Amino acid sequence: MKEITLTINDKQVKGKEGDTILEICQANGIDVPTLCHLDGLSDVGACRMCVVEIEGERKPVPSCTYPARDGLVVKTNTEQLEKYRRQILELLFTERNHFCMFCEQSGDCELQKLAYRYQMDNVRYPYTFPSLPVDSLSDYLVIEHNRCVLCGRCIRVCSEIAATYTLDFGGRGWGTTVVADLEQPVSESTCTSCGACVQACPTGAIFSKLSLYRGIPSDCQQITTVCPVCGVGCELNVLVKDNNIVSIEAPELTGLKGPLCKQGRFELLRETRPRITSPLVRGKKGELEEGTWDKAAEVIAESVRGLKDSFAGIVSPRMPNETLSLFHKFIREVVGSDLIDTMDGENYRVTSEGIRQFQDNGKGLDIECLIEEIIEADCILVAGADPEKTNPIIGNLVRRAVSQRGAKLIVIHPSRNVFPLWTDLWLKPREGSEGDLLNGLAKNLIDTGLAVPQKAGTKLIESLSQCDTGEVGRATGIDEESLKLAAKMYGQAERGVIIYGEGLMQSNNPSLITSLLNLADLAGNQAGDRLRVISLKTSANSRGGWELGLAARGITRNGLKGLYLLLSDDQADEELLDWLRGIDFLVVQASYQSPATSIADVVLPSPIWAEREGKYVNMDGSALQLKQVLQPPEGILQDQEILIQLSKKLGHELSPS
Amino acid sequence: MAKVKIATAWLDCCSGCHMSFLDLDEALIGLADAIEITTSPITDFKEFSPVDLGIIEGAISNTHDEEVAKDLRANCKILMVWGDCACFGGIVAMRNLFTKEEVLRRYYIETESTIEGKIPSSEDLPQLFEQVKPVNQVVKVDCYVPGCPPSAKAIHYAVAELLEGRIPVLPSEIMRFD
Repeated sequence: MKEITLTINDKQVKGKEGDTILEICQANGIDVPTLCHLDGLSDVGACRMCVVEIEGERKPVPSCTYPARDGLVVKTNTEQLEKYRRQILELLFTERNHFCMFCEQSGDCELQKLAYRYQMDNVRYPYTFPSLPVDSLSDYLVIEHNRCVLCGRCIRVCSEIAATYTLDFGGRGWGTTVVADLEQPVSESTCTSCGACVQACPTGAIFSKLSLYRGIPSDCQQITTVCPVCGVGCELNVLVKDNNIVSIEAPELTGLKGPLCKQGRFELLRETRPRITSPLVRGKKGELEEGTWDKAAEVIAESVRGLKDSFAGIVSPRMPNETLSLFHKFIREVVGSDLIDTMDGENYRVTSEGIRQFQDNGKGLDIECLIEEIIEADCILVAGADPEKTNPIIGNLVRRAVSQRGAKLIVIHPSRNVFPLWTDLWLKPREGSEGDLLNGLAKNLIDTGLAVPQKAGTKLIESLSQCDTGEVGRATGIDEESLKLAAKMYGQAERGVIIYGEGLMQSNNPSLITSLLNLADLAGNQAGDRLRVISLKTSANSRGGWELGLAARGITRNGLKGLYLLLSDDQADEELLDWLRGIDFLVVQASYQSPATSIADVVLPSPIWAEREGKYVNMDGSALQLKQVLQPPEGILQDQEILIQLSKKLGHELSPS
Repeated sequence: MAKVKIATAWLDCCSGCHMSFLDLDEALIGLADAIEITTSPITDFKEFSPVDLGIIEGAISNTHDEEVAKDLRANCKILMVWGDCACFGGIVAMRNLFTKEEVLRRYYIETESTIEGKIPSSEDLPQLFEQVKPVNQVVKVDCYVPGCPPSAKAIHYAVAELLEGRIPVLPSEIMRFD
């Protein structure tokens, strides 16, 4: 990019061709007030706060949209400009109903800050007092049109970053308002409640119900940690005041994982399950009774002693590496059992076996590409997965690739089109016929010459020989034309990415994964030495647990007499619960009361995500640091400390390293 | 030196700004040497006589408010207004989102605790305006101290500036709307 020189406020400054005046000012430390501008979003010149004077221009121009040219002479701070800016502020205040004294955003409002800066102690224009609605039906956010300045930041973040395209302007002129879809309440719209608009709003026009009046950022401590929910591993800025979480925000709103999702931004603050604050032991009458740590440890020690191979441990993949390792050690060395698994270990065993059958070189999960490949993709194939539910940021990246970069989207799902608004082709294989479909696609690539010739080895061709289109059609119920179209779309892509999830992993059929990898390999969809394939990890430290070997073998249920479930703030699904009901002696270490704790013989209180620290490994294989943001309630020990104390009771010194 | 004469009035407001003035605490003792408060809700004198400084808290909501504002303006050399209501309309201007009839009906008839309510209609009573207005839409205002209420610090700054012979504009660090 060509370097250009211009004069701003009598000083020579440099920039690049294509920069706006505002960008050059900001890069050179020249302060220009803005309101509708937000770093990382496109600029629209809606508010006119950033107006500057340019020699040769008849009137002031918004610097955020004005392209800089070599030799321009710019003034950003003349008396006239400052007058205009104050005037704009006065007009903004008269246009809607701004009442700072009870606005939850007061003290953290860009409009208010600008008014202070321009010492706006009165307004020279008559107020309009428009009658505007408030949309407070959503569980998460409120749209308060009375405080809206129509800057459009919410609309731009909703389309450019969240890629849901829910918000837009409705009406004209004075009647313009921000609307969701065709003026639906936001709770009944296509909104995913990611909350990006809440963070982007400069005033109190869109705010979070879960942070309402809890405090303003300047009163809070801000800690950057990792989301404990899914395997994407988004960074979270957690704002804390008086040992309470005020709000959760994205450290980089316009970045790759910028919008965050409903889970990370809101649901973590909507916890309603009753907390467990002291150990519970099942008494003689069969009821769970509060007991001391010592009593609980005594009961566990008594029951565990001698059980050895008939005692198993299951741990939530939300636990950080340190706790996982120590739990593994506890089961192996203190209890003397090999029976250990993570709650999603089955997924790993299917995936890793599928990878091994494809290529047995020990690379394991490192054969998969990084999630940033999704946004660069020109074709995305989503097989047996619902990223919008399990890993919403993956859903977001898919939507961004499809809607902003023209990627084609193929969904393979027997019953649901998981991206109903964005799918180019939905293939509905009969339940259990996914393998036939994947092999059929591979065969089609070879037959139509779309396969990379050197990848189509004789062994593979042989194994696919019976996958002729007719056979595949009969098995899957998918017509020939759709199959050919899918093969063409995926085969012709330069950067095709396959995303698969529990629909394939929980089939107990590793060959599905092998077929899928073969398909990517045949189509030449490689990124460096990785294949453009991603398996969705549904928990924050799924990958950490798998890499530490906790999910290597799984647990045989026969002859099992005791089980220790380290659940913490996670939830046990029905399948696991069914199994737990048949266990003679059950220990559950959990933060909240749940069906799992109600059937336990001993319940040990556990800290929640915000009360612990440790290392997570996300889907990409990156190590991330979970930081402690809250002090646990009195009497609650860290999970590792509990294991160490229990070991002592059983006569073992367990050390964390 | 003769004391600076000050008259104050509260119009459609909550009196919080006057309370904030009293929050000057010990600084009031110092001020007492320099100022004399004549007509004011604090002294409870009702009729205005000529003063150096007039101070108004509250917005213009009815015929009485307008009359008082005009009366004080006519009797003072400099008029200062306190609080968001007087500066911008403030919280009392929220009724502008409804018609006068709706407001009166809600207040005198529909409130949950009211039985057989009636909207007062005596000619002796001030008439509510259709819209609440900030003071500067009725009389000329010379200086403004916004805030809900303005802090004692902001009020002190403004009064001290005036005593020094300058028309105050609150610095950004002191100015607050809440």
